[in-house]
Amino acid sequence: MALEQLSDVVQRCQALPDDRYTSEDHDVFTISGRTCIEEGNCAQVLSIVLDEKNQDIVRCMGWNLLPPLIQVLLKKDSQKLSQCLAIFNHLLQTCRPKELLIGLLEQLEQDDLVAIAESLHLLLNPLQRVLLCLGSRKASSLGMTLCSVLDQLAKLPLPHTKEQEEDDVFLLCRCCSDITHFVKPFVQEARQNLQNREENNQRTDSVGGELGRDKEDELGTELLKFCMKTLSHTLLEAQLKDPDTLPESPLRDFATDILNSLSAVGESLPSLVFQPLLRRKQVTGFLEEEVRYPKESLACLAHLLFVHHLAADTFPSVFSPVFALRCNMEHVCLLLSRTEESRIQKGLELYEKSLVRVEDGSLPADLLEIRSFLTVPQNLVKVMTLCPRHDLRTRGLKVLQLSIDKLNTEAKYSFFQYMLKTSSHSGVEGYVIKNIKNQIDAALQPGNSNSWFEGVQLLPLLRKVLVLPNGPETDLLQYLDRIMESLNLLRYLIIRDKVTENQTGIWTELYKIEDTFLKPLRVGVNMSRAHYERELHDTLVTKRGKVKEESMLSVSVGKEKLPNMTSESQIQALHSALHTFDMIESVLVRIEELTEVKENL
Amino acid sequence: MADEPTREWSEEQLKNDDLPKKDVIKFIQDNAAHSFLNEHKLLGNIKNVAKTAKKEQLIVAYNQLFESKRFKGTEPVEDVTEQVRSVKLEDKPKDLPAEVIDEGPPKFTKSVLKKGDKTNFPKKGENVSCWYTGSLVDGTVFDTNIPTTARKKKQTKPLSFKVGLGRVIRGWDEGILTMSKGETSRLEIEPEWAYGRKGLPDSKIPPNAKLIFEIELVAVD
Repeated sequence: MALEQLSDVVQRCQALPDDRYTSEDHDVFTISGRTCIEEGNCAQVLSIVLDEKNQDIVRCMGWNLLPPLIQVLLKKDSQKLSQCLAIFNHLLQTCRPKELLIGLLEQLEQDDLVAIAESLHLLLNPLQRVLLCLGSRKASSLGMTLCSVLDQLAKLPLPHTKEQEEDDVFLLCRCCSDITHFVKPFVQEARQNLQNREENNQRTDSVGGELGRDKEDELGTELLKFCMKTLSHTLLEAQLKDPDTLPESPLRDFATDILNSLSAVGESLPSLVFQPLLRRKQVTGFLEEEVRYPKESLACLAHLLFVHHLAADTFPSVFSPVFALRCNMEHVCLLLSRTEESRIQKGLELYEKSLVRVEDGSLPADLLEIRSFLTVPQNLVKVMTLCPRHDLRTRGLKVLQLSIDKLNTEAKYSFFQYMLKTSSHSGVEGYVIKNIKNQIDAALQPGNSNSWFEGVQLLPLLRKVLVLPNGPETDLLQYLDRIMESLNLLRYLIIRDKVTENQTGIWTELYKIEDTFLKPLRVGVNMSRAHYERELHDTLVTKRGKVKEESMLSVSVGKEKLPNMTSESQIQALHSALHTFDMIESVLVRIEELTEVKENL
Repeated sequence: MADEPTREWSEEQLKNDDLPKKDVIKFIQDNAAHSFLNEHKLLGNIKNVAKTAKKEQLIVAYNQLFESKRFKGTEPVEDVTEQVRSVKLEDKPKDLPAEVIDEGPPKFTKSVLKKGDKTNFPKKGENVSCWYTGSLVDGTVFDTNIPTTARKKKQTKPLSFKVGLGRVIRGWDEGILTMSKGETSRLEIEPEWAYGRKGLPDSKIPPNAKLIFEIELVAVD
């Protein structure tokens, strides 16, 4: 039935010139043709399509047959595969590129994971052929195609482990290679255009050259958009493996190809990564720059260059490490301000790599006037205290220490002050105080003296350390880390610095510290101890009396209610609190002994 | 003995915020004996002293100077120690970074391979473009932007950057400022003005490496 309809409409149209086909002819051809293929009459359709007399018809209407053909080709199992492939190839040769492009792009859109990868694999090559047929008018069509290709790619799950990348179950890696092959001729053409343009410019600096440039740039612009989108989507999410871990990595190759494409379309990689500092001052088209070079893409690019050393042979080794750090700080800032673990990891890696290049103790204090140098430590604190992944929290701490080590003495001093003021986390503050102690210790070594960690300048910093944030009412358990490090520092100062030398100024400051720190701490310890002893007593009594009281409070995680604490663990917790107070007190007593003895001397 | 200096400011004038620390430091440095300056940690570049010293300290030092009358030239040994000090560089007081500013001779040497136009010398902050090849002392090329074939040369661009702003290693910044447009020179850069103790392991530059660059300055604008 469908076959007869198809033969009829083809015969009718054979007698007409191609501008006289009616819309009814189009409809009949489309419906009957599609049905024939779906019903398996592919051999007959093939012979109609190949018939010399029918080439005008095929050129005008043939592209309508694409959907069922591509379905057969994707399924692969049909016996009609070879015939369908022959029809498909003939259509690609004969039909008009514009219509083919629309037909192919429609078939690219898939939602099923397997179909996404397969249709990309099948259709990218035909799409490339069609686009190449468009000649100089292809730029916007290429842009449209690349956009929908990347949207498809984004639907596939990324491999995370080495094994996943090797197995490539969802074929994402294969898709990446397919895409690389797909863009290759266009990149080549853009490179050639650029070269011709430069030669023209060298010969004549005429206005005509300028006009020609805008037109030719379209291809380059589309490819730039593609590279930027790949960087900020796929590559920003992916965790690339180093060659030692994975000698052959399709994802790494993909990233390298993207970087090479950027160079090919005339974008210099150093200018791109250093852009936060280099281009900001050019006010004209500022917004345009942001769209053209999305910040996340540039951050990802910096990560690829500095952490993975991709395109290392084209990246100049003449930039100063401090300059590279300053630029990368902007990228690090952006990456660490996010909560996605892949970004946090990239931010930490990039920060670490940029710091390692800098000499210890060399960064001056004026760097701390730059916004990103203040925001990044705050982001680091968030990572160290809130990130759910343990390895990232530890790494954050390691990077924080590395960043402290790179500062010079004055900068360390300002940095500690800043951290004590802003971090509002007992553990972080404790860590900073430990660093202060190390710096004082270093300054007190013979020949190492500096004006920041001893004498007049040190006191303001010590005053920020040796206080109890909320006086005697301070929650000692919550502030334990900070309190213990402060006490340790004080004990260290008293033992290390002699009353007669008073290099740190601690001995003349002691009476103030007594008021701001030691006295309220003693009161606090006593109050807390009394409170917890009472609690312990009550709990023990309750337990002995075996009175099961319903708790007033309940804790739930998600929607599950947590069981109430058993009285055993309650007792354990109370005991451990009391031990903590003992510990604080023992250091306090030791400090008192030391100061009394020396004052009596 | 030379005439004793007279007090330039009264106590009120000293405390007044209109009187900059730098003036007080300059006065004390000009008039006090070296040992006095050393005791009050007032040696070194005025800018750096002004950073580390507080106004109160300066007032105390100023008053003490007139009380103790330890003016310049009052200590006979001073001239000798002064001379010794200028010979022995290690004698710099360590807590004053100011002294570091005087680093002695440049840590690079330049030999001109091809003369430039000798008129277009880049100034700080100007954009320069160059072709370059960087190698280690043993001849290993670690970086170059000169393409291997002439055909490729058309595809790449020379490296361009703003000179003198610390964007590149110090040896480049200082070296290129001495070159003129069209010049090709060979710069031998000591590690201190290159990648120093750290090196740049990712780019095959080992720690403490002296670097040799052949640089052609093609444009200044």
